[in-house]
Amino acid sequence: MGSVRQTQVLQTVLLWTLPVLVLPFYIAPLLGVFEWSLSRPEPGLQNYVRLVTDGDVIAVLLRTFRICLLVTLISVLCAYLLAYHWVFGSPARRLIMEICIFIPFWISVLIRAFGWIVLLRTKGVANDILLFSGVISDPLYLVRTEFSVVLGMVHFMVPFAVFPLASVMRQIDPKILLASRGMGASASFTFFNAFLPLTLAGIVAAIIIVFVFSLGFFITPAVLGGGKIVMIAEYIYIQMFQTTNWGFGAALSVGLLAIVAILSALLFRVIRPERLVR
Amino acid sequence: MNKDFKRDCVDLLRSKYEAGQLNRRTLLAGLTALGVSAVWRPGKAGAADQLVVVNWGGDAIPAYEQAFTKSFSTATGTTIQIDGSGPLEGSMKTQFESGSVRWDVCDAEPYSALRLGRAGMIEPIDYSIVDKSKIEPGFADEFSAPSYFYSHVIAYDATKFGAKPPSSWADFWDVEKYPGKRTLYKWMTGVLEAALLADGVDPAELYPLDVDRALAKIEGLKPHVASFWQSGAESQQLLRDGEVSMGFLWHTRASLTERDTEGDVRWTFDQGLVTPSGWTVIKNNPSGAKTAMEFIAHCQKPEYQVILLQELGNGPANPAAHALVPADFASVDASSKENFARQIAIQSEWYAEHFGGALDKYLALIGS
Repeated sequence: MGSVRQTQVLQTVLLWTLPVLVLPFYIAPLLGVFEWSLSRPEPGLQNYVRLVTDGDVIAVLLRTFRICLLVTLISVLCAYLLAYHWVFGSPARRLIMEICIFIPFWISVLIRAFGWIVLLRTKGVANDILLFSGVISDPLYLVRTEFSVVLGMVHFMVPFAVFPLASVMRQIDPKILLASRGMGASASFTFFNAFLPLTLAGIVAAIIIVFVFSLGFFITPAVLGGGKIVMIAEYIYIQMFQTTNWGFGAALSVGLLAIVAILSALLFRVIRPERLVR
Repeated sequence: MNKDFKRDCVDLLRSKYEAGQLNRRTLLAGLTALGVSAVWRPGKAGAADQLVVVNWGGDAIPAYEQAFTKSFSTATGTTIQIDGSGPLEGSMKTQFESGSVRWDVCDAEPYSALRLGRAGMIEPIDYSIVDKSKIEPGFADEFSAPSYFYSHVIAYDATKFGAKPPSSWADFWDVEKYPGKRTLYKWMTGVLEAALLADGVDPAELYPLDVDRALAKIEGLKPHVASFWQSGAESQQLLRDGEVSMGFLWHTRASLTERDTEGDVRWTFDQGLVTPSGWTVIKNNPSGAKTAMEFIAHCQKPEYQVILLQELGNGPANPAAHALVPADFASVDASSKENFARQIAIQSEWYAEHFGGALDKYLALIGS
């Protein structure tokens, strides 16, 4: 009897640990942010009205979405190729892929952003090579543009997209592909009609991870954008610390959270990502 | 035993301990005898005997130690911790509203001090402790006292423009006469003024700033702006690497770049936009307003101000200090009489009222 009781106590403790931690450290502050958005500088919905009517704010939101979509598209495409070689390549190729995926993954985002500046600036390595080889006659402005922001973000996000893709590719039974070829299907037909559909769940998971992660990017656009690419995360920071417009900053945060939640819910409904963790 | 007297006994014991005249055991015995051992333990300085001074970090930390804090510790026995995390307006507001202020003296923007001060969050400067006569006339604000002066200046590539150097913001905007890319400051302070001066506004009639006119002028230059810098180091890198041929820089960074490039980059105080940084005390600061004000007063000494100029290039807030400035530093002294005359003072009052709204518009423009 005693041991049953002990087990029950243990179960209760384990079950409640997470809610007890989440409530004061996450839910309560979040409600505080929500309250700010409705009460500062005065009670009312004016912060949310501004969120949907102020052209400057909408421009920041649209820019954020445009860049994040572009980053998601390129990252998932690159990651798909990387994952394919990682899963199906020869042992030597797998090792190279692992180095290419994990080394950048372990380096801090700040260092990588500055690394790109060193590479891409006017007197940087990239321009030196292009000038020396005669491809261009004047240095290109590669850094502090939307191009360098997208590049820096893709570089950061690719490993995050590789993992779910590699995970689904590993689960594919090679016999299915063999059967397709055996039935006379061409290699490309097999890829598009057998392989690709089987990796769809991984693609969707990769898209969700990359897109949601990208929405919160702060350092990379700030460093590589030359001050010109203000995205939503930095805009919230500006409202909090520079202009101390806390109510509006809170409303932006709530808006961003809502957008992420809606997008995630939609995509989760389309493809059930729980299938990934069989 | 009277409570205040007891506290005085503890203070005496503490100072003897810190001076090395008491060993730890005797000290603890003494504290126990007073019944206060639980209140204060050696080695763990309480809030009251430690002053937290907040600045913007980097080289400013050792420089402040040299110029201000070591001498204050020696004179008063108060230990000082310099926190380089940067007293942004939002951070100071957070401290006040959280109800547990950890910062004693902040080296803040005067307009932030004004804004928060009017909202009742800042301790007014106590001019019975801080000496008004040791402040550049006209800059003794209600909620902040100048810590030093710095300027927003034109820095340029002397290898290109050395023969006919730029001397006005109109030159800065003139990409025909002075070809190449530019860099401006992302957080806007001084940029609107520069744009209006370039557009022909008389310096005496600059304020109140015509934001829309300034933004239109900036929009015209925008295709030539390689970067809106966010950190002083970034502004230096842009000029040093030749990514831009001219930049809107802090004079301290401009002077460092001139030194690093051995004169390939030069700069001028002509039409520089000069402003003080302000010692600011958040209400309910841990060491109390009096200690904080005493620290501010301590920093007014001309000798200390000159040390800061030599370490960081920051111009003295006390006019008496200029006489002590060595000859080779006179050219970087932003607040000396002759350099001041070439510049235009930024009005904190305008920023206190309009900074937030104008910054939103400015960022929308540069980000479009």
